[in-house]
Amino acid sequence: MDLISLYPTWYEPAVGSGWVVALIATFHVLASHTSVGAALLFAYLSHKAYREDRDDLLDFVKKYGLFLLVFTYVAGSITGPGIWYSTTVASPNGIGALIHSFVWKWATEWVFFVIEVVGVYMIVYLVGRVDKKTHMKISVIFGIASLATMVIIVGILSFMMVPGKEIWFEEGGYLNGFYGTNTFIQTGMRMAFMFTMTAVVGGIVVAGIKDAAFKKEMARKLGWLGIISTLIGAAMLQWYLTSVPDQALLVMENRLPDYFVPSIVAVLAGTLAYFIITMLQPKTLVAGFAGFMTITILVAGLWPEETARESMRKPWVAGQYVYSNQVIGRDVPGMDIKSQLPTIEKVGILKAHPFTPDELKEVNDSNLIQTGEYIAMVYCSNCHSPSETGIRPLHRYFPDGVTQARMEKYVKGALTTGNIAYMPKMPMLDSEVRALSAFLVMNNEGGQPAVVAAIKQEVDARNRALAEKQAQDKVASLTLPQEVK
Amino acid sequence: MDASQVSQVTEMMYALRNPAGVPTYPIIFIGLGVLTFALHILFVQLMLGTSAITLYGAFNSNPYWRRLGAAMLEISKVSVSVAIVIGVAPLLFVQVIYDPHWYTSNVLSAKWVIAFIFILILAYWAMYFYYFQNGKNADKTVTPKSRWSMIVSLALMLVVGFIMHSLTTQILHPELWKEWYMQDGVLDYSGSQLHAYNPWRFAFFISMAIPVAGGMLVTYRRFKSVREDADHDYLNWAADLGKKWIKVGSVISAALYVAWMMNLPETAGDFATSFWGYAGGIAVIFYALWAMIRLKGEARFCSYMALPMALVIGLIVAVSREMLRYGILNDFFHYDFMDYKVVMDWYSTGLFFLTFAIVGGSVLAYFLTIAWKTGQTVGVYTPSAAVDKMGTVAIWIMVLWMIQFFVIGFWIWAK
Repeated sequence: MDLISLYPTWYEPAVGSGWVVALIATFHVLASHTSVGAALLFAYLSHKAYREDRDDLLDFVKKYGLFLLVFTYVAGSITGPGIWYSTTVASPNGIGALIHSFVWKWATEWVFFVIEVVGVYMIVYLVGRVDKKTHMKISVIFGIASLATMVIIVGILSFMMVPGKEIWFEEGGYLNGFYGTNTFIQTGMRMAFMFTMTAVVGGIVVAGIKDAAFKKEMARKLGWLGIISTLIGAAMLQWYLTSVPDQALLVMENRLPDYFVPSIVAVLAGTLAYFIITMLQPKTLVAGFAGFMTITILVAGLWPEETARESMRKPWVAGQYVYSNQVIGRDVPGMDIKSQLPTIEKVGILKAHPFTPDELKEVNDSNLIQTGEYIAMVYCSNCHSPSETGIRPLHRYFPDGVTQARMEKYVKGALTTGNIAYMPKMPMLDSEVRALSAFLVMNNEGGQPAVVAAIKQEVDARNRALAEKQAQDKVASLTLPQEVK
Repeated sequence: MDASQVSQVTEMMYALRNPAGVPTYPIIFIGLGVLTFALHILFVQLMLGTSAITLYGAFNSNPYWRRLGAAMLEISKVSVSVAIVIGVAPLLFVQVIYDPHWYTSNVLSAKWVIAFIFILILAYWAMYFYYFQNGKNADKTVTPKSRWSMIVSLALMLVVGFIMHSLTTQILHPELWKEWYMQDGVLDYSGSQLHAYNPWRFAFFISMAIPVAGGMLVTYRRFKSVREDADHDYLNWAADLGKKWIKVGSVISAALYVAWMMNLPETAGDFATSFWGYAGGIAVIFYALWAMIRLKGEARFCSYMALPMALVIGLIVAVSREMLRYGILNDFFHYDFMDYKVVMDWYSTGLFFLTFAIVGGSVLAYFLTIAWKTGQTVGVYTPSAAVDKMGTVAIWIMVLWMIQFFVIGFWIWAK
């Protein structure tokens, strides 16, 4: 049999599985970037506290550390593996490709992660319990461990967009996949923006400082940190765009929502304005203002940025060889990976998929809509939800009254050939084209209720036919002995 | 199941393997997976056991129970973090070797997988809420506030434990995956059901929280007894309680283990009466015997061995659990993880083990020494020159690691 590595599909009709991943990932980015930036800030402050014998700086580290412990380490350490969980159910082959290439890198990151988690408790709970020199050393170790977790993960994130070096496709090798121009520029960009987030979130803690002079000092420190890192980050963002594949820029120009660029510019400008205001007038720095800015960065900065990075990779989801619909669409000789497209072209997607139920392996009139829906779930639903809402709903892409013939022409001409730049090539047998088109037409005209009703009819009809056949077989088995007699 | 059906399931599992292969010999991932699972489940059980003590202490008017409850909350809080961070490792390794099984199981119960994330966050926050409500009380014997939040925390922790248990159990039933996906002729894309569970297996792993928490109490008494301000009556009471929990808890757990073995799926064959089937149960009951013999009286050395012993017992159970999985998937379904395609990558393999041993070893040795000494010191702890030197060495090792990361990176990039 010609089976390929496709898993069952998880379909989330309200927002779409892709957005579930994006929601968790965006929150994790806020938590993790803030934590890494704060870890380096703590190393600096703890060192300063040791050199200048200052208790107030250590007290600030303790308060900020405790805040992070509860809000970013708890949520961050859970949403980190949470990204694995969510991508596992939304894109198993995407995460599988990363895991199988970079398992040791993730394991190495895990060593630093353990150090980081033990370290954050020590930083918070040992203020005043150990001498300042020891606290400084713990803070420095904690800072480097946090940074190590980031630089490692950025290499893997870069691979999602494009393998480090083109030669990886021919020769394979972890190093060729991990290190590349995109890796280094993205590392710099994320490091800059992590300090921006650290400075903004830190404002929530600074707001609680009672001593006006100390509050002013910390507001200025965070303000300068925020301004410099935001400006460097904005410049790095422009540089980063030069390191992505041309295809990604094409998608960015054509497919990103209109609000993307204004949103990013507004957030950058607003963040700079926030830092300037709080530096000039530290009394304006209250928890509500800092909290508002944190939410603004999350919603208007990180969300568009993370979803853009997700969209720009299309039609790929990992390493420019795993399609967003989980099919492997390219040979990678260096890893002895073969494209799965020839297999699908030979036997069709229904027979190539290991989880296709026996009843749906061949398209016929008794399963037309159900096989059509199945193909749509496998090929389309990761990026286009077959529901009213959700991620880029399918029904928005077809005019009212579209006919079966017109739909088949589109499916065959555009999808099976891979003629749309940012969509995968989706090979189908003619019978599968007919089934998918029938489903798309029905979904377009009657929506989910019509599809559900049609599938119910098909299932009932199949069950009736099966019951009749079983009854006939029973009759035959009863009459045969009499005839023999 | 007939041979043809088994063959179809085998073929499906092999088809689902990731074509990228694995970067070193599969047995290494299994070994690391077992080891890190044992560590992970130890901290899960420690968290559950100490949470239960906190809760019981909160509803008990005995001042010793109140104090113990407050002290164990500190352990529970850190144990959740450690359980999560250590749990990342077995989660990683199961995806490498058992990706067909883990991914299928997860997708078929996707909603629960996503819910796991949010429920765990809520459970942890509920615990912190209780801590912030009561942590600053100088008198630990007063009635704690917001006890409901600790109940919520423990209940939600059990829910996430059950989700994980179910996902792991579903791995063992590849013959049912397609039935779960298509029910009554209709495909279920919702991932809204947990399809399989074994209440005895779940109860066994949860019940191990009793002896593990007992081990913690014995260790707690030993650790605190050297402080100048130690209340020995209270600490001895806690240790006696711990010894009782180890003995009684191990017997309860061993009984549940037997019940689990008696309720294995048919595909497990005669695993229950095999060497590893017996080994897990014997190891658990051995903990009670060890406590009876080695924890008599003061037990100054063996009190510190109580938790390491629990880890050893957990490790034997983890091996037994892994052998059960191997037995079902290999012996019945002929899926052998050992023949996973290897695309050897020496650099990343070596880098991990060196980082684990040198970076992890040096830093954690320094961190744990500081934490240990501080816990036993009244007032500010100032390390000796040797301990201080450990810190300096750890920092240099970390710096060197970062340098090699970028030097090798730039060299590869420039080639």
